[in-house]
Amino acid sequence: MEMIIFKSALIAYFVSTVGYIASILVRRVFMAKAATWVLFFAFILYGAFIAVRWVKAGYSPVVHLHDSLSFIGWAISGIYLAFQMKTKTRVLGSIVSPLAFFLIMEASASGGLVREMILPDILKGWWVSAHTILALIGEALFALACCAGIMYLIQDNLIRKKKSYSFSRLLPPLRDLDRINHICILWGFPLLTLGIIAGSIWARTVWGSHWQWDPKQVGTMISWILYAFLLHQRLAIGWKGRKAALFSIVAFGILMVAVIGVNLFSVTVHRFV
Amino acid sequence: MSIILVGMNHKTAPLTIRERLSLSCDSADVPLRKLKQISQISEALYLATCNRVEVLAHLEDREGGVEELKKFILSHGNLSLEELRSCLYVYRDDDAVRHLFRVASSLDSMIMGEPQILGQVKDAYRQCVEYKASGIILNKLLHHTFRVAKRVRTETGIANNAVSVSFAAVALAKKIFGFLAGKSVLVIGAGEMSELAARHLMANGVNRIIVANRTYENAVRLANDFHGEPIGLDLLDEKLNEVDIVISSTAAPGYVITPEVVVSALRRRKNRLMFMIDIAVPRDIDPAVGDIDNVYLYNIDNLQEIVDDNMKVRLKEAEKAETIITEEIIIFSNWLSTLEVVPTIVSLRRKAEDIIAGELERSGAWMKNLSDDDRDKVKIIASSIVNKILHDPITSLKEESLNGGADPYVAAMMRLFKLGHDE
Repeated sequence: MEMIIFKSALIAYFVSTVGYIASILVRRVFMAKAATWVLFFAFILYGAFIAVRWVKAGYSPVVHLHDSLSFIGWAISGIYLAFQMKTKTRVLGSIVSPLAFFLIMEASASGGLVREMILPDILKGWWVSAHTILALIGEALFALACCAGIMYLIQDNLIRKKKSYSFSRLLPPLRDLDRINHICILWGFPLLTLGIIAGSIWARTVWGSHWQWDPKQVGTMISWILYAFLLHQRLAIGWKGRKAALFSIVAFGILMVAVIGVNLFSVTVHRFV
Repeated sequence: MSIILVGMNHKTAPLTIRERLSLSCDSADVPLRKLKQISQISEALYLATCNRVEVLAHLEDREGGVEELKKFILSHGNLSLEELRSCLYVYRDDDAVRHLFRVASSLDSMIMGEPQILGQVKDAYRQCVEYKASGIILNKLLHHTFRVAKRVRTETGIANNAVSVSFAAVALAKKIFGFLAGKSVLVIGAGEMSELAARHLMANGVNRIIVANRTYENAVRLANDFHGEPIGLDLLDEKLNEVDIVISSTAAPGYVITPEVVVSALRRRKNRLMFMIDIAVPRDIDPAVGDIDNVYLYNIDNLQEIVDDNMKVRLKEAEKAETIITEEIIIFSNWLSTLEVVPTIVSLRRKAEDIIAGELERSGAWMKNLSDDDRDKVKIIASSIVNKILHDPITSLKEESLNGGADPYVAAMMRLFKLGHDE
């Protein structure tokens, strides 16, 4: 049952990815519209898959690196769909949909989703669930902010070159991209903050202290400070456009190094299974 | 049966002649009424725009009617025979269809890809229907034309990119701001091009306009045209932070807008994006302004270059459009050729139905003894036998008509079955 839901979600993600890419190649809006609906179903299906797993296990199923990545993929597609209702930026879907598909597929290919979950009891608490899920949704928002930022830089560059590029027609207007970037960071920041707080509360009960100077913690903290700075500049100084886009890309890069890179390449107490 | 198109356009006829022709169609006497009086014409469409005057007609007879059509245009526009001969073109059948498809798809327009022509063709057709000047062929042809025009528009990029400076400016503004509703524009100096650009921006949702001029009176005059607010040039720096789009075209010898002023305006407007268009020669806006973050500066050459590039794209897309049109002509002419055999098929079917009805009536006496159910069965058997027999000849006839060789078969069918069209 679980696997049927998972497979249909994966197929739906694949179909919507194909739809989005085809819509760009043949320049047809209705294809992108259809792809958006398929993506919506994919999002619902994968959400159901997570829920089923959660109920079965009795605790949050987002534990492994692969679970986390596919959860981010799912969250990104959800956030994008929410934006799609407000602004017409379907072209973003052609990045989000393949990204979500890739992340979820990677998780299933590595066997992370099929494997029986054997967890030490300390990881089954509510604080861990809150910590991972809040932080991951925050990261998904930052990922989308980063996407919008990259697109902003491309579009900005094309407009400044003062040539007629057909590619530029595919990209959303600058103002929409800047708003997506801003809103994602505006929401992502408090979520990441709460995630970090939840994590440190849990750490206190297990490790005996809130802070470990672990590479993952330090990396996350650096990018947290960068996002805090960016948000301050945006809200107080009125940073907009290129500078903000560039900054959000750099901050996300550091965050990714902290979240994934550290897990893979260095010694960390923040790796459990 | 023949479709014919007679007309002149901006390529073949000078403005003075087109003028005389299109002026006369405003007169009370509708050209369609006159056209209908020509006996050889069974259906007619009259299309007159500022760039073309065309008559599309369906003639019963292949030969007659053309001279009458020419005469109609001659008298209609008070043209001399000389003038007429040099500008008039005459297309027949597939060529006429191709021309109509090209016109409606805006391939034959002065500015290729412009959107108005399709509406004008639709209006002409509406008038044609109103005056009952259309029949089966023109109805089908015009609906097919609208479909072709739509296909060309959606499947090629012929109408995609702006090909005038002011539209290019609007397209850029949309690329920067998305929707233009709620945005404001500042027009510095007067000039045809800046006024045109301002009008296009307003047509696209810009709802506040400030007009600045060296002489305040001129600003007031222009502002009245736009329902905008006039200011003197001395207030320029102060107002700059309130506007999203700036169009400048003064005759000033030096720069009117400097980087310092823009930086200060940006600070006051919290870095909200600005789009500046400098159409003045010599330039009004210091080119260094273009290097400032969140400001996009275009001068007249930049815009012209974009327009030129877009025009090249359109020409390329036009080739795709011609392919589509060629495909569609085949579809239409197939339909047209099956049309030749339709009356024959209809009368053949009618004759068969009459025979069935007659035979059933004659057998009414003994059929009374049958139950309702069995009576229905007999009727069904009778008509299905007839349909089976007729099926092959009818399909063969349609096939022959697609190859264009149906005439002898139609004649044979009429003789063998003793059919007459007027039954």
